[in-house]
Amino acid sequence: MEIVVITIVSGLVLGALYALMASGLSLIWTALGVFNYSHGPLMAFGAVVTWTVIEKLGFSLLPAAVIGIVAAALIGAIVERFLVRSFYGNRDLLLLSCMTTLTSMIIIEKGIQIIWGSRLKLLPRIIGGEINVFGAVISAHEGLIIIISPLILLFLWRFMASTQTGRSMRAVGQNQEMAHLIGINVPKTYLLVFAISTGLAGLSGVLLGGIRFVLPTMGAEPLLKAMTVIIFGGLGSLGATTGAAFILGMLEAILVQFVGMYWTPSILFLLLIVVLIFRPTGLFGSK
Amino acid sequence: MSYLLDVKDIVAGYGAVTILRGVSIHLDKKESIGLFGPNGHGKTTLLHAISGLIKPRQGHVYFNEVDLSSVKPYKIVKMGLVHSPQGNTLFSAMGVGEILELSAFTKRAKENKTRNFEKVYTLFPRLAERKKQLAKTLSGGERQMLSIAAALMCSPEVLMLDEPTLGLSPLLKEEVCNAIAGIKATGIPLLIVEQDVGFLLSLVDRLYLIEQGEVVREMDKSNKLAHREIMDIYFGKVE
Amino acid sequence: MNLKLNKKSITILIISILAVLVPIVVKDSYIRHLFIVSYIYGIVVVSWDISLGFCGILNFAHMAFFGIGVYGCGILVKTFNVDPAIAILLSGIIAAVAAAILSAPIIRLKGIYVILVTFSFGQLLLQLVYSQVNITGGALGMVKIPNLEIAGYSFIKDYKFGYYYISLLFLAISILFVEVLGKSPFGKSLKAIRDNEDYAVSRGVSLAKQRFLSLIASSIFTGVAGGFYAVYFRVASPEVFSFNPMTLAMSMILIGGVGTVWGPVMAAIGITFANEVLAGIKGLEEVRFIFVAVLMLMVMKFSPGGLYSLVGKIPIKKISNLFRGKEVNG
Repeated sequence: MEIVVITIVSGLVLGALYALMASGLSLIWTALGVFNYSHGPLMAFGAVVTWTVIEKLGFSLLPAAVIGIVAAALIGAIVERFLVRSFYGNRDLLLLSCMTTLTSMIIIEKGIQIIWGSRLKLLPRIIGGEINVFGAVISAHEGLIIIISPLILLFLWRFMASTQTGRSMRAVGQNQEMAHLIGINVPKTYLLVFAISTGLAGLSGVLLGGIRFVLPTMGAEPLLKAMTVIIFGGLGSLGATTGAAFILGMLEAILVQFVGMYWTPSILFLLLIVVLIFRPTGLFGSK
Repeated sequence: MSYLLDVKDIVAGYGAVTILRGVSIHLDKKESIGLFGPNGHGKTTLLHAISGLIKPRQGHVYFNEVDLSSVKPYKIVKMGLVHSPQGNTLFSAMGVGEILELSAFTKRAKENKTRNFEKVYTLFPRLAERKKQLAKTLSGGERQMLSIAAALMCSPEVLMLDEPTLGLSPLLKEEVCNAIAGIKATGIPLLIVEQDVGFLLSLVDRLYLIEQGEVVREMDKSNKLAHREIMDIYFGKVE
Repeated sequence: MNLKLNKKSITILIISILAVLVPIVVKDSYIRHLFIVSYIYGIVVVSWDISLGFCGILNFAHMAFFGIGVYGCGILVKTFNVDPAIAILLSGIIAAVAAAILSAPIIRLKGIYVILVTFSFGQLLLQLVYSQVNITGGALGMVKIPNLEIAGYSFIKDYKFGYYYISLLFLAISILFVEVLGKSPFGKSLKAIRDNEDYAVSRGVSLAKQRFLSLIASSIFTGVAGGFYAVYFRVASPEVFSFNPMTLAMSMILIGGVGTVWGPVMAAIGITFANEVLAGIKGLEEVRFIFVAVLMLMVMKFSPGGLYSLVGKIPIKKISNLFRGKEVNG
């Protein structure tokens, strides 16, 4: 019985993290039709900037995290403005934007490595200590992730559904010409989408930094997981992404428990392929 | 002589292709004008050039005496010059009410939002009945109405309509015609591009015939001879 | 048309002769090594053109097939004691089989899913290689893979004399393969799919089948190149699945020109040499990848067709007229 609880709780933590990580990617895809590979290293960037602010400037976690998130958002804005923007309207937008963001990924990751070095760093947790959930003991930090993540996603969803800015972000992805003609500043909207998305990446990095080591490559595996979530859930809606994230989190927790860590990635990949065979646009996919 | 909308010698096209070869038209404060002519000869391109979606290679567009060269499309909308494009593609994954709400995006649109909503639902009762319906599930006629309604929510000082009755059945055409007449009645000058000349004549005061990217005739409706001429050109018989 | 063919053929002939003559002029082992490495990359990027360039499949698993070739060969030689020469050729087949297995489920997917799945595949292999220590040697990889020796002749003799010509031969064969493929009906059907999918389908081209075949064709020589890499370097390490080789290969195909054959080949040689030069400069070992990445970005922004697309624009006639003292007109 204890194993079941532990597995479920681990699944929840993983799901919450993955949902947060994937939300930013899903956002950019829906609005721009672009897949942002630099999302991974930007998680690391958010974490590493936060770490620097704490270590070198002596700030506490919360303000440092805000700075880290904003820093990640800024880099995202730069990537959009100077790299991706030139390809809108190009027939090969998908390939070009992938190559561009992949290249930015390499630059950012190497950049972090050069500036901050490869030595392990640790970020402080939001709150210390442990909590007991129906018999499973996890860190309070992880418990908080389970709560924070859905809250943020809820907030994001409300933002996208009920504010003019949020609507405009959905609109530019559906019909760019029409968006122009009702008075939306389309380039500014694209920039905002990127910034919010990469800000989310930075946030994920900061939260992750409390559980795992802060390394230049810390974003690689989460990026992969986020990609898997997106394929699983199908691109197109925040709800689909969130649902898929939790399902994936649960699956992973179960597999790790019963099959071990070595085989889990392969089995998940196989499952992914199976899902895609029967539902080529993902479990909840529409487009 | 300052017009509300003054288009002077526009040369424009897409890529290597030049479509407009020096087009000049104007719209005065209390009038509505129509553009007609064969397909593919530049009417839509002209509208694109006016609303800022494409940049003219030569020539100028003045709106309220402000030069619109290099002004971004969203700013042109902010100034009150609104373009309702051809094809009613809209935002397929959004609902009717949401699209109308979103279209009140600019400051001036927000200020007049409540009034415009009333206008829109009075002119297009069909839309009032389908507030929650997704745009992609609407019929062609309803989408066209939504397209015009969205343009209205932008609170236009001048409204440009591109082929508002394209592909509509005669019954729907009449509904849309009445709605547009209703819009005109609220005092908004219109620039309408249409294939159906009869339709145009019931709504506008002056017509421009555009062929091969040029204005070949400018006709005043009050001139009966011009009316006959137009009909003959297009139908070879009197309607 | 005839004239153009001749000009290109002459250039190719000259380049080929030069390439064959290199070891005669260059006796330095290190420089020959650089050529060999660039030829290996050349094979890889030219093959990538079949799926990415001709067919337009957003194939990000290509380097994974290279890695499969490397490890396949390593395992064959070290675990099963297969002769290296045979193992190299078998690596091509192994890679092709892997491509067939991966392709089957993804050929019907939309572009973005293909990208994600193929990318994930490569990362998955990396994880597998690290975790299955018994088979792959884990993080340390497999070492001491024997040298290539056929009938008593060791290819590493005389400062890698044999290796140079073998790699050049493989490169030549793969270039020939890709050129012939590109001009064949099969190749044309691939390009049709890339240029206008719906039209191709309406003309009876089977999307799924052609994509499947193009991915396999893409992987054959890549696998062979991988096998050769393993034998030449005598090591199979997880490094081959990392981003470093991928960055280099991507830069070569992008800068050379996706879809062209000679552009990426030239880029392979140029970038390999540039990469090594930069690696030699102290303090730039890690930064050089950033240089390469930035270069890629600049090419994408200013000349998305790669540098090869600029070749046609070089005003050769004007320049030659200049030399002959004639007037430079239009």
